[in-house]
Amino acid sequence: MNHHDNHYHNDDDDLIINGVPMGRRAFLGMLSGAVAAGTLMSPSWSWAQAGGQATLTVSAPANPSSLDPATGGSGSDHVLLFPMYDTLVNWNPATLSATPGLAQKWSFPDPKTLVLELRPGVTFHDGTPFNAEAVKTNIDRSRTAEFSNIRQDLSSVDHVEVSGEHVVTLHLKNPDSALPLILSDRAGMMVSPKALADNNNRVDRNPVGAGFMRFQKWDDGSEVAMTRYADYNGPNKLAVGAISFKIITDSATRLRSVMSGQAQMAYHLDGRQKQMIERLPTLQGFADPTIYCYQFYMNMARKPLDDVRVRQAINYAVDRETFVRVAMAGAGEPAYMNLPKSHWAYDPETAKLYSHDPDKARALLKEAGHADGIELDLRGYNDQSSVQMQEVLMEQFSKVGIRGRFRTGTIADMSAAYFGQEKAGHMLLSAWTGRPDPSLSYSLLYSGTSYFNAGQVKPPEGFDQALLDSRSSDDQSQRQQALARVQRIVMENALVVPLAFRQSIVATTAQVQGFENNLLGKPKFNNVSLKA
Amino acid sequence: MVTRVKQRMVISRLLQALPILVLATFIVFCLMQLIPGDVAVTLAGENASVERIAEIRQAYGLDQPFFVQYGQWLWQAASGDLGTALLSGEPVAQTIARTFPNTLLVAVYATLLSIVIGVPLGILAATRSGSKLDGGIMGAASLGVALPNFWFGMILVLFFALTLRWFPATGFVSPFEDFSQALWYATLPALALCTNGIAEVARQLRSSLVEIQSSQHVRTLHAKGLSPARILWLHGLKNVSVNLLTVVGLLFNKILAATVVVEAVFAIPGIGSSIVNAVLQGDFPVVQGAVLAMVVTVIVVNLLTDLLCTLLDPRINAS
Repeated sequence: MNHHDNHYHNDDDDLIINGVPMGRRAFLGMLSGAVAAGTLMSPSWSWAQAGGQATLTVSAPANPSSLDPATGGSGSDHVLLFPMYDTLVNWNPATLSATPGLAQKWSFPDPKTLVLELRPGVTFHDGTPFNAEAVKTNIDRSRTAEFSNIRQDLSSVDHVEVSGEHVVTLHLKNPDSALPLILSDRAGMMVSPKALADNNNRVDRNPVGAGFMRFQKWDDGSEVAMTRYADYNGPNKLAVGAISFKIITDSATRLRSVMSGQAQMAYHLDGRQKQMIERLPTLQGFADPTIYCYQFYMNMARKPLDDVRVRQAINYAVDRETFVRVAMAGAGEPAYMNLPKSHWAYDPETAKLYSHDPDKARALLKEAGHADGIELDLRGYNDQSSVQMQEVLMEQFSKVGIRGRFRTGTIADMSAAYFGQEKAGHMLLSAWTGRPDPSLSYSLLYSGTSYFNAGQVKPPEGFDQALLDSRSSDDQSQRQQALARVQRIVMENALVVPLAFRQSIVATTAQVQGFENNLLGKPKFNNVSLKA
Repeated sequence: MVTRVKQRMVISRLLQALPILVLATFIVFCLMQLIPGDVAVTLAGENASVERIAEIRQAYGLDQPFFVQYGQWLWQAASGDLGTALLSGEPVAQTIARTFPNTLLVAVYATLLSIVIGVPLGILAATRSGSKLDGGIMGAASLGVALPNFWFGMILVLFFALTLRWFPATGFVSPFEDFSQALWYATLPALALCTNGIAEVARQLRSSLVEIQSSQHVRTLHAKGLSPARILWLHGLKNVSVNLLTVVGLLFNKILAATVVVEAVFAIPGIGSSIVNAVLQGDFPVVQGAVLAMVVTVIVVNLLTDLLCTLLDPRINAS
């Protein structure tokens, strides 16, 4: 499922009372002798010390599903995996285009061969050298092991060849230029081959990577702790001695942990919390777009959505600017296609296709034979934030004669009913969390046999070819053109109603320096330091 | 002084507990089946294919019939193995050992606060029954019963943690690591939890005391010339102690259940939040193990309460 991130919404509203802090010492002085003197006098309030040895405490929204990149299943794991595992390929935080990682260079001598040149002098946390053999072990494990959740990601790999101490060649079954970006995700996180050999090929609870942080402990639902890896030689400006991720599922509580100074950072906060963070002088707020897109999924096998004019009408009926302002407290970017503006493969032409135009929507409905409007069976989730979105959209729909009612339930329930056997409802208001390479998103969302194409309707003429083209060239501008064609076909045929991109909202204390959000919405901490 | 009668009582009560344990875990297992969603889908990851989900279902035995699954769990549990979490792989016994002490500390702390604050209030109200003070205390008690503790918890955090900075706003320290630190972290959660308890203890104590004070036997004591204070401390409180103990026993169980909500507000890694997360993800070994631990605790507390009652009031023993 791709909608689990909705869990982060919660219904708590915070009240802020600003006042002059009395200080714990003053309070304890007052208390001592009177109430429970001995017990309250303990000395170590967990303020972080500043400087290179300090611990960065981060409030994280979810317990990881596993700390083994190949066996985990949750999109929220990455934030905890990135510090421990360096990836073969990195990305530019602002555009998500591929940049060097453990592989300092890569090339496609022909469309079915990918050669990676590895950075020398890298060691895993257990001292094992990182080399071509280690890459082969990892990729072969991820694409073949029975327990691996990422076999699909590497399905285009036929076999891996060690071509030198620091050169690996991936021989492919079919051209796949999405691979470099796939290797920036789980499939590119390198695990120590020795640790795998010693632990029955899995490191779910005892991860050993080559990242700048080494694993210390994991208490389920409570804490994941890491200490700095002294022999790390990759590029980073990190200046903390340890990172402690405190797992706090409730977003209001996460923010409170930073307000009280017990944590220096909290991420995956709600849009509604953004304004609160801005009002607090002691905090720094970060709000940047991500590829996480709220959208309507459409079952195009059902009438009247089988008619392209009806689907276009729905796209014209939506006022995305208002949607972002009202339903997302302004913390979002209107979505006119599946990628946000700053993404490397964004296509400005496609984004112009649908402006808010109720007249055009009514005209299209009339042309399709629905002069009196249409009645839709809508599905959605029952958390407060989703219900708010539904109300805004119903209001907009009613102005063009689209009637209907939202039936709501839990994410698991509603998604299963809509995508699964039952095929319940015309449209589902949900989200797409995005993938490192856009071609993956498009094929998962719109291919005729994909789970997320609820009606299993064959995509329009030219879609499959454009998608193939986007994966057969490794030149970014050529890929961009092919992906623009894919996206244009999707939007002209209105296969989806994109609504808005969620922002990654992070709050830190004033101590935190060098933090930067990224378009994937999964914070990395490579350059973070703590100021005194 | 454990008499043979009491020994027999303990043994028979423990034997009675066994079917309760089996029934409780069975009911929880049934309920888990009714929850929508599928842990196999979660386990299969973000690009799950239909085949992968089926594979996982088979690998984890999730395709087995309901009774087979429950039977396997029960058999393992009976031999002392609570299994491991489906998602994270942590042994369930370890999860319980790590989280339950935190929950127990908060619950015991809140119960003690309820007694320490509730008993004097109850006595005050009873000795001045009908006065403005009595009205005030009972009014406050009604408010205490009505206060939702998660809301009160947030108010406490805003005031004592974020504004005054006397106590931490979130988190916890294990009592085994640093007991005084643990108490410090547990104070606000315990305060949030004890409002209902204080109210209940005060109200129960007041009504029992008022009843006793108007009884014939107290009237006789007055006639004998005993001072009201002596009557209250020696005869009054002794007579209501059984009542009070029963109230406290029930109260503890209630507080134990209520920690689930307060743990979320304060981000306490307790057994309540483990259960909530496990239920949401369909991780049934964790739910089963944690519920088992809670049920055992409730049974033991009830047993202890009964034993103490027989010590305080020998008449209970005779019947």
